[in-house]
Amino acid sequence: MKNGISILLSRIATPTRVGPRDFIIVAVLAAIAFAVPYFAGTYQQEVGFRILQLGALAAAWNIAAGYTGLVSLGSAAFFGIGVYTMAMASNAGLPLVLCVVLAAVVAGLFALIVSPALFRLRGLYFTVGTLALAEAMRIFVVNSPWFGGQAGIFLTAKAPKAYDLYWIALLVAVIVVVGVLLLLRSRWSYRMQAVRDDEDVASQLGVRTYRTKLWAFGLSGAFIAIIGSIQALNQGIVQPNGGFGMSWTIDIVSVAIIGGMGTKVGPWVGAVFIVLLGEFLIQFPEIHLAVVGVVLVLVIRFMPNGIWGTLTLALQKKRNFS
Amino acid sequence: MNSIDPVGLANTVLGGALLGGLIALSAVGLSLVLGVMKLVNLMHGQIVVLGAYAAFYLAAFWGISPLLALPIVFVLGFAFTAPVEKFILAPVAKHGEEAGLLTTFALAIILENLFIRFFSGDSRSLDTAFSRETIAIGPINLPTIYLIGFAISLTVCLAVWMLVTRTSFGRSLRASSEDPISAAIVGIHVSRVRWGTFALNGGLASMGGVLIALCFSFTPSSGSEYLLTAFAIIVLGGLGNIMGTFVGGIALGVIQSLGAYFFGDGYRTFVGLVMLIILLAIAPNGILKRRRSL
Amino acid sequence: MTAVLQLESITKSYGGVRALDSLSLHVAPGEVLGVIGPNGAGKSTLIGVIGGALTPNSGTVTFDGRDISTLSSADRARLGIGRTYQIPRPFTRMTVADNVRLAATNSGHHLSHRELEPFVAGILERLGLTPFAEEVAGKLPLLRRKRLELARALALKPRVLLLDEIGAGLVRSETEELISIIQSLRTEVESMVLIEHVMDVISQCCDRTAVLDFGKMVTVDETPKVLADPVVASLYLGSVAESADTIVVDESKRAAIRASLTSLVSAPNMASGTPLLTVDDVWVRYGGLNALKGVSLSVNPGECIALLGANGAGKTTMARSLAGAVPLTSGTISFAGKSIAGLRPDEVTALGIAQCMEGRKIFGTLSIEENLIAGGLDARKHVKAERLEAVYSIFPILKQRRKNSGTALSGGQQQMLAIGRALMSAPTLLVFDEISLGLSPIAVDEVYEALGAIRDSGVSMIVVEQSVDRALGLADRAMVLGQGEITLEGKPAELLADARLLASYLG
Repeated sequence: MKNGISILLSRIATPTRVGPRDFIIVAVLAAIAFAVPYFAGTYQQEVGFRILQLGALAAAWNIAAGYTGLVSLGSAAFFGIGVYTMAMASNAGLPLVLCVVLAAVVAGLFALIVSPALFRLRGLYFTVGTLALAEAMRIFVVNSPWFGGQAGIFLTAKAPKAYDLYWIALLVAVIVVVGVLLLLRSRWSYRMQAVRDDEDVASQLGVRTYRTKLWAFGLSGAFIAIIGSIQALNQGIVQPNGGFGMSWTIDIVSVAIIGGMGTKVGPWVGAVFIVLLGEFLIQFPEIHLAVVGVVLVLVIRFMPNGIWGTLTLALQKKRNFS
Repeated sequence: MNSIDPVGLANTVLGGALLGGLIALSAVGLSLVLGVMKLVNLMHGQIVVLGAYAAFYLAAFWGISPLLALPIVFVLGFAFTAPVEKFILAPVAKHGEEAGLLTTFALAIILENLFIRFFSGDSRSLDTAFSRETIAIGPINLPTIYLIGFAISLTVCLAVWMLVTRTSFGRSLRASSEDPISAAIVGIHVSRVRWGTFALNGGLASMGGVLIALCFSFTPSSGSEYLLTAFAIIVLGGLGNIMGTFVGGIALGVIQSLGAYFFGDGYRTFVGLVMLIILLAIAPNGILKRRRSL
Repeated sequence: MTAVLQLESITKSYGGVRALDSLSLHVAPGEVLGVIGPNGAGKSTLIGVIGGALTPNSGTVTFDGRDISTLSSADRARLGIGRTYQIPRPFTRMTVADNVRLAATNSGHHLSHRELEPFVAGILERLGLTPFAEEVAGKLPLLRRKRLELARALALKPRVLLLDEIGAGLVRSETEELISIIQSLRTEVESMVLIEHVMDVISQCCDRTAVLDFGKMVTVDETPKVLADPVVASLYLGSVAESADTIVVDESKRAAIRASLTSLVSAPNMASGTPLLTVDDVWVRYGGLNALKGVSLSVNPGECIALLGANGAGKTTMARSLAGAVPLTSGTISFAGKSIAGLRPDEVTALGIAQCMEGRKIFGTLSIEENLIAGGLDARKHVKAERLEAVYSIFPILKQRRKNSGTALSGGQQQMLAIGRALMSAPTLLVFDEISLGLSPIAVDEVYEALGAIRDSGVSMIVVEQSVDRALGLADRAMVLGQGEITLEGKPAELLADARLLASYLG
């Protein structure tokens, strides 16, 4: 009966609700974030960029994994598509905005192409399939003659300033967040959650499950690719092990789970946690990742709803008692 | 592409078959774990790497030849993974399949980074007296180590097959794999079976790591490639089918070698991965059908 | 004849078992069709086939003159076929209103944004769910879950509604409420198919009723005629007179079996005069539903208890909690003076309680002999061999085929294997759960013949059964479970004479 749905989420008792209040909060926070470069230095802007990047990535991943139950470990494939599309399109002289849009379109097409194989897999097998997909993409890009091999591709365009990058990342993050909120307000929201909770029953109630999964997976992938395209600008050079590297998948999954899967705020809590932990352990990158692993193990065991999910539940209980 | 040279092709196919059979040892426990624990063990690749490092340091510090170290590595792998199941995985089993999957994902991250921290990111390889020798069969030249590794893998796979089909633990394993609740009601201590299976896999995968490292160099980050290769093998061979896994290994070895032969060595793994995805999509339960009696 | 829904020689098999066997059926416009039949007759499979969740092996389904056999369930829902589930399956993490909105926005009828909310509110109101609209569906108790099932199906604006045992597990007043809801639906839903065990629902709602058994149509006719048919009553209760004739008691065979059994059952290790098993005020709750509500019972050494009751009454939950496979919410179970609550299933088995599980649960990846050995893992090697021989002498067919896979046997033989496996642990108490389910009458005779011999060996037994006459023929004492409580208790003869027994089955 349970088709690989995430038990991690099963204790979250707060249903997803999106109202005008959410949009106002996003607008206020975005306005505050917009002002940061005016009083903070380059270092703070870089940290801010990283938080915006990881938070947006996790929020995008959440569309498929948290709301639709498609737990993917293939995010690096979409991220890499974004990275390389930006590099190649911008070197071809296309304007920035078009490059970003192209990244999203290519990622969407990629989702469309791989979905017939992937969606036959349920639960754990889907997860393994996505992992294999990302590795296959990385190896393909390393070896094929079109993508510059291991050495990668240099971006010919001049690298943007730190504050420009920060603002671009902020814009992208706002687009992703508003996109997620609009999605949650739409009829797709019920369909996605229904597919996650019980695919067979959803189908019996008229939900075209394949289409629903494709929308969620494709949209999630397109957003991840957009964020990837910004990373290409940030780096100035794109390489297979950077763009398609497992480390992106690890970051995304850690942020989403530590923050709280299937919640609106969780990704941002997780992103702040992971980035600050990384800054704290900046001298020891391996130790940082090992610590992230330990935190993950502990969160899955003792706080299966993540930091934010656990907080909300605790608040709810308190309210119910008083 | 190269013009096809029959001797070179035969060399490739035979070498690939031997190599695949050798690698099968690293995969044979993965399907037992999947069957009994309903767990996709994402730290599997890191256990394989751990075995390789164990043999590396046994050779470096005590001069123990990797082949003689195999039993020690098995014990180390068993001893390392047994508490992992008991104290980390078993408690989250009640949170559902995904909790176990993500926990092993986290453990994989931890292990990989500890490897980098303590063993450095350098690429390593294992050496034996036979490492550079080849055996000629007519015009075909095959590395001696492939033959030895193949024979060891076949022997261990047969032993595992005997264990699963002929012993009391094997009966309990099969029953728990098929229906854990009924198995428990019949009187089988299912949690002990799970624990034993995971640790057995730990020992087998570590030994597999030694064999692989005798043929290829490895780094702390080789784990994900080993995991996916092992997965491709068990999907090819049919989940839960021990000797099928061995045959699946041979098949994958041949396919990968042909891929490398025709498209270049970089495509060796790629061909395997693409096949894994296609196989998962068309026949998630494997090509070789699972036999009733395993 | 213009049927809304027409099934033409549908066959659906699982493994070797035919759940539906070239079944044909039609539903006329404006009609409410009831479908009844014992457990395992193929009723739920029928709904799955109509709704599209199951693909039949052969046969066609026609809706409104159109062959829909190849359509997905989503497309069938959009055409106007709505269904509910026997065990409600709400989307537990969505609110009640969102559950209904989902169906409303995926039906074949387009609703604009402005129309949606009043429509959803109307349906919630209609089913009395308005106060719980914003509650998470996973928190609802059973009756509200059932109403939500109906609400979701109605939100599709279906032309045909398939209701799978909507009355199961409800108390009488709740059932009456449901009946009035169903009757009120007649004006807006063209036709309905009701699968039911609760006869009140059938008699008050259905124009015609079909009776299924072993996947085949036994009869279909106007409801009052069907309910008066003696064949139907015997399908549920079995017929004592008939089975008494067919059982040939072979005394010498019995004596041999009795001799073999001495090594297969253990005497209780405890002071005499106290009950072997005491179940005290046991409650079991899963997912918001109370499966057992304060059940107390005891079994004396050597006693055979029959535990009866309709589908969903809590019998299997009781058996499972005795096995340690279901955690108790409250209450205690003690066996031979020790509390067994909280023990693992294998620990319970080691103490001396063996189970013959519902559905037999034979391991197909193990051979017949391995299945038997798995039942007596703790025994020493020579004891194991001795017990194995004893089981083989009781069921010679198992010895003949001992190398074959456990599931290569016929249903009756598998049941013998399950009994043999339970005996391999040399238990003090044996629990038989729905042992006659899905077996042919002859196989049931054979199995009960063996049970009789086992009872005579002096072991304690609990026989959980739907088939009343068989169990009562065997038991020293019987109790009837209804809605998770013991509703009736007594000697078999007294119970048979009690009209309430039949009522507890037929409503």
